[in-house]
Amino acid sequence: MRAGEVMRRLVPPGSYVLVLCFLTGIWLTISPFAMTTQPSGQHWIASTVTNVTIGSILMVVSLLGILSFMGFALRDLMREAQAKQLAEQAAHEEASQAAL
Amino acid sequence: MSVTRPSLGKYICGMVASLAVFLAGGWLILAPFALGYQPYGADWVSQTTNDFVVGICVAVVALISFALFFFSLLGSLRASGVIAARPRRAVPAPVETAPQAAAAPAAASNQSDLDRTLATLAQALAADLNARRQTGGDAQSNQLTEQHITNRRDA
Repeated sequence: MRAGEVMRRLVPPGSYVLVLCFLTGIWLTISPFAMTTQPSGQHWIASTVTNVTIGSILMVVSLLGILSFMGFALRDLMREAQAKQLAEQAAHEEASQAAL
Repeated sequence: MSVTRPSLGKYICGMVASLAVFLAGGWLILAPFALGYQPYGADWVSQTTNDFVVGICVAVVALISFALFFFSLLGSLRASGVIAARPRRAVPAPVETAPQAAAAPAAASNQSDLDRTLATLAQALAADLNARRQTGGDAQSNQLTEQHITNRRDA
């Protein structure tokens, strides 16, 4: 299997879209400070708390989605490779027995 | 023979993550009004605008992501045979099985073929007829010449 095919199976189009969500989460987390809506040196206001919380959730959830898909896909690839190896071994043994 | 087992966990994970992100986007849209940091009846403050725009973007992107994972899941199920593959469009059938709507162009094509065949046949017949006429004319003139010679000899 080629590297491109492996990458396509590990990172589907949905994961690319989740990367966008991850980037949005980063922006949400830093936006109160970047837009200076959070007064410096004071307790966080409600919008800052919301933005930082939701931004963190977005980052964590999208990363979890991407990584879990990658993990499951990797497990499937390993299983397929193992099954292929076993089938080749069985065919080789059958051929050698037939030759005897 | 190897059997392809569909593993649905990865698609489910992607779909669940997309759904959670969609809910987060929805909350972002509602938060300025729900938490009260957007004064009622006033122009939107910058936090409200930011949250609203980002919330809509996140919700749309999450829906797209959900759809992509869902279609990947469908493709995997089709590949493993759980869902029947889409029937491909049938190749246009011969004249007997063609539907009525396709009968007109087929008939026109057949008509033109028939015309061409008939024209070729007519040309061949005409050529044959001309050849026979020429042969017949030659034979007749030969016969006339021989008769003329015989008449002269008799005379």
